[in-house]
Amino acid sequence: MVRVQPLILLPAWRRRVLLIALLCGFMVLLGRSIYLQGLHDDFLQRKGDARYSRTLVLPAHRGMILDRNGRPLAISTPVESVWASPPDVTINAEQLKSLAALLRMKPSELSRKLENSEREFVYLKRRMPPEEAAQVMRLGIPGIFLQREYRRFYPAADVTAHLIGFTGIDDTGQEGIELAYDQWLSGKPGSRRVIKDARGRIIEDLEAVKVPQDGRDLVLSIDHQIQYLAYRELERAVEQHKARAGAIVVMDAKTGEILAIANQPSYNPNNPVKIAGRSRNRAIVDIFEPGSTLKPFTAAAVLEAGTFQPDSKLDTGNGTFTIGSATIHDAHPAGVLDVAQVIQKSSNVGAAKMALSLEPHVLWGMFNQLGFGAPVHVGFPGEASGRLRPWQRWRPIEQATMAYGHGISLTLLQLVRAYSVFANGGELKPVSLLKVNEAPIGQHVLSARTANAVKDMLELVVQPGGTAPRAQVMGYRVAGKTGTAHKLVDGVYAEDRYMSSFVGMAPASNPRLIIGVMIDEPSNGQYYGGAVAAPVFSAVMREALRMLAVPQDAPTTNVVIPPETPEVKEVV
Amino acid sequence: MTLTMLARKERLTAPAYDQGLLWVALMLLGFGLVMVYSASIALAEADKATGHQSTYYLIRHAAYLGVSFVAAMVAFQVPTRIWQKIAPYLFLIGIALLVLVLIPGIGREVNGSRRWISFFFITLQPSELMKLFVAMYVADYTVRKAAQMDSFTKGFLPMLAVMLLVGGLLLREPDFGAFAVIAAIAVSILWLGGINIRIFGGLLVLLVVGFVLLIWSSPYRLQRITGFMDPWADPFGKGYQLSHALIAFGRGEWFGVGLGASVEKLLYLPEAHTDFLLAVIAEELGFVGVCTVVMLFGWMVMRAFGIAKEAVLHERYFSALLAQGIGVWLGVQAIINMGVNMGILPTKGLTLPLLSYGGSGIVANCVALAILLRIDWENRRLAKGMPV
Repeated sequence: MVRVQPLILLPAWRRRVLLIALLCGFMVLLGRSIYLQGLHDDFLQRKGDARYSRTLVLPAHRGMILDRNGRPLAISTPVESVWASPPDVTINAEQLKSLAALLRMKPSELSRKLENSEREFVYLKRRMPPEEAAQVMRLGIPGIFLQREYRRFYPAADVTAHLIGFTGIDDTGQEGIELAYDQWLSGKPGSRRVIKDARGRIIEDLEAVKVPQDGRDLVLSIDHQIQYLAYRELERAVEQHKARAGAIVVMDAKTGEILAIANQPSYNPNNPVKIAGRSRNRAIVDIFEPGSTLKPFTAAAVLEAGTFQPDSKLDTGNGTFTIGSATIHDAHPAGVLDVAQVIQKSSNVGAAKMALSLEPHVLWGMFNQLGFGAPVHVGFPGEASGRLRPWQRWRPIEQATMAYGHGISLTLLQLVRAYSVFANGGELKPVSLLKVNEAPIGQHVLSARTANAVKDMLELVVQPGGTAPRAQVMGYRVAGKTGTAHKLVDGVYAEDRYMSSFVGMAPASNPRLIIGVMIDEPSNGQYYGGAVAAPVFSAVMREALRMLAVPQDAPTTNVVIPPETPEVKEVV
Repeated sequence: MTLTMLARKERLTAPAYDQGLLWVALMLLGFGLVMVYSASIALAEADKATGHQSTYYLIRHAAYLGVSFVAAMVAFQVPTRIWQKIAPYLFLIGIALLVLVLIPGIGREVNGSRRWISFFFITLQPSELMKLFVAMYVADYTVRKAAQMDSFTKGFLPMLAVMLLVGGLLLREPDFGAFAVIAAIAVSILWLGGINIRIFGGLLVLLVVGFVLLIWSSPYRLQRITGFMDPWADPFGKGYQLSHALIAFGRGEWFGVGLGASVEKLLYLPEAHTDFLLAVIAEELGFVGVCTVVMLFGWMVMRAFGIAKEAVLHERYFSALLAQGIGVWLGVQAIINMGVNMGILPTKGLTLPLLSYGGSGIVANCVALAILLRIDWENRRLAKGMPV
């Protein structure tokens, strides 16, 4: 068989042209490859890093806040957040059921979350206890991951809420000590540069891990037992007297340390949701007109200036005293009183007359040295400085009313600190919210003689015939002063709204504790400081002295509360 | 007696087949298996559809290689004249498959393209087979119409009509990449077969105009074009895939980050085991890896042309054209795929021949190489005066 080949030409040049064209193609590829891999690689690698290298923050463990005896008041505990990448999740019905049970969700809700395949990151449960999270991981469901976080826990909850404050979701202080000492507590977070795959899983570390520096612990001056005690008694009084608010400060008279500072109303810092108006530490950030609790300082000023002696008599007449167009009233006409009786009976007229015996700058100087009108510098956020107007602009009526605590504003903390002059022979102790190892040296504001003289007068206040027999403490001598002031509402003194207070110290022979109590708008009938605030003082003082094992300085039969006495009412 | 002597002489003087070509093919196939595994581990583990089984693609690719090997052995047994004889019928079968794939219910749609036919447990991609059938058909056509190659109406027009039909079917899927390769095969064979240079020039102009029209007519192709021009303009949208491929090249540098150490394959780079396998090779093995692949393909194309040259000497024009058609096919497809990976050609959806994951493609490539080896084998037999 002869196969007839058709006339065909396969020109060799055409083959060569085609082959060269193809080989040129390969050469172009090699050139491009050299450009991409050898010359342009820095740019491309930067682009790559931007896509998949991540700097992870390694959270630093936030320091604990402890009371003076090492009891924790704020602790950071590790928690785990469970999240899922829905496209990667493979789960059977049984696993779904057990996972839902562990997460405390309805299976239907869970499966709805897992079916959301558009997202690659869905939180299933935030902040679970680590052991429960471990159970979740033991189910071995692909596409479910954990994320380590820290949760702040406050064992004392509402009892220390105003002092400690709380942290935000990013573990930084938002209020109180948490905010004030944020730097100290928070430490330095570490970091880790890693490459992640497209699902966010870490593949490798790019550089050495920067280890986080944990925050430091902070030891407060607070004694958690006294804190609980103070809080509980304050809460009871605020409830009993249907008051709007209240505050209490317990200070160590020797060291100036705050052993307790509590406020009402309170909130739970472990779940700070409804805190509007409840988060203020009123004892430090709110100012009020102290009323009669300021009279002892007026007395101290005149004794120090020598215009009066403790036994100097002055006439309060029928209980009214007119300066210009204004008239000062006493609750009851008291006639002729000595200085001690002015304090004991809390006579406004007496205090005003004493104050007017001084040059304005002398009285102002006394108040100024006591720290009124300037912040206490106790290191608390939003600390108020109070209001003490410059003496150059005082009118006589103003000087007179200031003598009994009107026209001047203080914080409860300022007031309590000022009382330390009577406890320490004239020495004003610096206040501290942190534990101090050694009693600090304060500033001498009064002579020891004056200080002790006023302290003796303050002891009379709690005796029958004084304004606050209910402040007595069994087995201890108590020195203190009541205050009942009309509240200023829109610049006018409200007739029916009071600020009841009591500040006192015990044992009076060698004071160890100073306690200030303030009850805002008691509205259950009683409103005198001696009836509302003094019992809180008494209860807290009694227990606190017992806890601190302070030796008694009076027989246990010392408490004499006149049963049906028309209590000596102070005038407001 | 004479026969044994001849046989001994034959063994002594020259091997019966092109060992170099066989080894190059085996190297590419073996390398492909390794790289497909490397590129697909993360994808397979992350995917519900694969049952989170890391060897999912490895096992399947190995199975495809096994099937391909058998298919290649069978194809090698078929004399080229048989191929030539059945070329028109194969071509018709190919067209029938291309029609079938467009019928809903038969053709399977993936990502908006209808390219696969499912028969029971196997999935067939007709366009891959069509590349081979077109090479055979056009070679046969050119040989049959050799005398009319100068004529526009008799030589060129029928072929143009047939190619427009095939092109139309492919673009309906749509499979623009396969169309480009098939057009390249057909035009190359016509060129080699001595088509009138003016017709060829006209054809080139027509092709260019046609491409431009196609690209402007369908927006998604235009998007691909613009994405390719500057992947950094929209690196998370249109330029996403290419930008990741380019990053893989940049990370690889000269010697690569090491086999298995690619980051891009960790679900960043889509289609890492198919269309963008070269990017993973570039990242893990660097320029050295890319260069090796390019050289092997270059060598393979040169061998195909060398075998064609031999065939011409033996006046076996069909074999010559078919060998070159196969060379053009593998070469052009490799160039386009690699060009896409490197950002010098728009994204097409073409695999890297012999390396990328994909059953039909590997089988078709291996059968084509078997035919190439057969042509060479027949050349050698003829050179020794033996029957084919």
